[in-house]
Amino acid sequence: MNYFAGIDVGSTAIKVAVVDEAGQLAGVHVTSSGSLFHKNSIAALQALLSQLGLQREDVRYLIATGYGRKLFKEADESISEITANAIGAFETGKAYGGVRTIINIGGQDSKAIQIDDTGNVVNFAMNDKCAAGTGRFLDVAARNLELDLEELGDCHFRGTCAPLKINSTCTVFAESEIIGLLANGHGKSEIIAGIHYSIAVRTARLAKRVGLEDRVYFDGGPALNKGLVAALQDELQRELVVPAFPQTTTAFGAAILARNEFLVEVCDAAS
Amino acid sequence: MENKLHKVIPIQPVPYSRSRQAGESQTVLDHIVNDFPDNPAAMQYFYDLFQKVYCLGEDVPHEGLLVGTTCIQAPEELIYAFGATPMRLCNGSYHYDQRGGDFMPAKSCSLVKATLGMLSSDNIIPKIGKPDLIVNPTTCDQKKKSSAMIEGLGYAVFDLEFPNTKESEASREYWQRSVREFAVRLRELTGRKLTRKNLKDAIRKISRAQVAFRKLHNFRRISPSLILGKDAFLVTNAYFFDNIERWTEAVEKLNEELAQRELDGFKAVQSKAPRVLFTGSPPIFPNLKLPLLIEESGGVVVADETCSSNRMLYDMTAVDEWRVNDMVDSLADKYLKPCSCPIFTRNEDRRRRLLDLVKEFKADGVVYQAFAGCQVYEMEYRSVAEEFNRAGIPMLYIETDYSPDDKGQMSTRIEAFLESLKNKKKRQA
Repeated sequence: MNYFAGIDVGSTAIKVAVVDEAGQLAGVHVTSSGSLFHKNSIAALQALLSQLGLQREDVRYLIATGYGRKLFKEADESISEITANAIGAFETGKAYGGVRTIINIGGQDSKAIQIDDTGNVVNFAMNDKCAAGTGRFLDVAARNLELDLEELGDCHFRGTCAPLKINSTCTVFAESEIIGLLANGHGKSEIIAGIHYSIAVRTARLAKRVGLEDRVYFDGGPALNKGLVAALQDELQRELVVPAFPQTTTAFGAAILARNEFLVEVCDAAS
Repeated sequence: MENKLHKVIPIQPVPYSRSRQAGESQTVLDHIVNDFPDNPAAMQYFYDLFQKVYCLGEDVPHEGLLVGTTCIQAPEELIYAFGATPMRLCNGSYHYDQRGGDFMPAKSCSLVKATLGMLSSDNIIPKIGKPDLIVNPTTCDQKKKSSAMIEGLGYAVFDLEFPNTKESEASREYWQRSVREFAVRLRELTGRKLTRKNLKDAIRKISRAQVAFRKLHNFRRISPSLILGKDAFLVTNAYFFDNIERWTEAVEKLNEELAQRELDGFKAVQSKAPRVLFTGSPPIFPNLKLPLLIEESGGVVVADETCSSNRMLYDMTAVDEWRVNDMVDSLADKYLKPCSCPIFTRNEDRRRRLLDLVKEFKADGVVYQAFAGCQVYEMEYRSVAEEFNRAGIPMLYIETDYSPDDKGQMSTRIEAFLESLKNKKKRQA
């Protein structure tokens, strides 16, 4: 059987997805990007393949995406993560009745993408060059509060007071603001809820720039954080479709595209 | 003076070719020349010119007195008519942008900062010598406020008063008066008279250059493209400082080569390459970051609506009567009426022109560059986006500046945009 892979070399994590000929997801794998993007990408791909009991030759076509896509020279093709994310969300979203707006928060950027009814990108917006309101922001905040990233979500709901306001839009300034709040004796939960709302407000503004269609898909690593999901839902005043594997939607999209490209080439060769 | 405890180490002068300005220019020029296939042979003139002026720091010669301009609204014909040479000072160097940060608030236009940074440096590149006068049209706020600062750096500055609207007759008269006052200042400066012959010759000289530009512009309608946008931008950037006759000749040679390319059915890009119209804040060498990213990613810039290129050279002077006063008024009209700069209160002309350019050049999409802090372009984005949205033309808006640190993110956006244009084309086909 033929398999197809997508590898999403992100700024913080490397995500790999493999699909079969029918476009069904065979497996996913996530590792940290570290500083050696290329070496870690190859290791991540290898790890998933051995987990699935596959050989490198079984993967007939591989598409790289993400910030470090150009470093992964073993790929047959590379594609921007916006296009890959759109394809992945469009495919995944079918089970939820189809999605037209995608919100993605990554390690160092956040995006809102609008797609048409065939999954093509119509419009998109991305944060400007600073990392405010991205996964990196959560990272810094978690470190200040001595919490693991996984704990942020639960902590969000534990507060007894209203979320505190985090005014700084810059990650570095927000860090000092958080320290200031801690020094004033505020509780961690209220601070965390405040951080989630601060990200949600920025993200909602970005999403409104591209326009919101009725069903909104939310993916990227930070979508694993239930507190952030709740804050974003509150800010947008609507339900969000959060997939089972939010981190690997983009890698999945690249794998789907790899499959489609390969099948087109086979058809071309046959005709 | 030396003693045992400490000594004063004198500054070692850095030769220009090893300076940071030169390094920045060399990197960009090498990229333009070496990393793209099939450069037109006639582009060599321009590559050599930028190598000499920006990378080696050779002197840029001029005839008569030197008049620096900080905006395309300064009528260059008048400067030539008084036997002086105009030189556009708008600068594209990140090195000077950082230097100019001393003068301006943090979030202000890179172009204005870079121009101030250059003028404040002892090592002005291009090496044009000290301008005898700098004419600063009072267009956007940042340029307006830079006037006094430039004066503070020891230059003679003339504020060329420019109106905020272009529709009213009052504005037109006000502007015509400003242009006449500029002529008076030039007369005082040069000690010459404005004669019918000199002015007519000057208008003709610039018109010939414009005709050459228009031919080049028209070649870019052809699809697949005969020439890349990065080369076209370099050509118009050279107009800022090159001798106008030599420039015109070099553009005519390039046009001949493009005519031959057309006959040969030559393609400078793949036939599926998305065709992009470029608008907004002007790309000026070495800051060709965005056009280069578009073309590295497989797109091609087929036309532009910017003041470093098309807007600077497209519109020609229409003279009714070849008498001095009539010519001066016609010149004033040329610099006001067709201008599509966003500093005006209303700007339907710009939107109309953009739509025309998309149609005429068969552009698949538009890239809108706004320098962070260039408020007027940032503000006009909304109305332009609405117009394109209505017309079903995809547009990518990018806020950026001269610093190279956002290249990674930019390239993601540009690739995604070009991919969506390609997909759209595929579906239509």
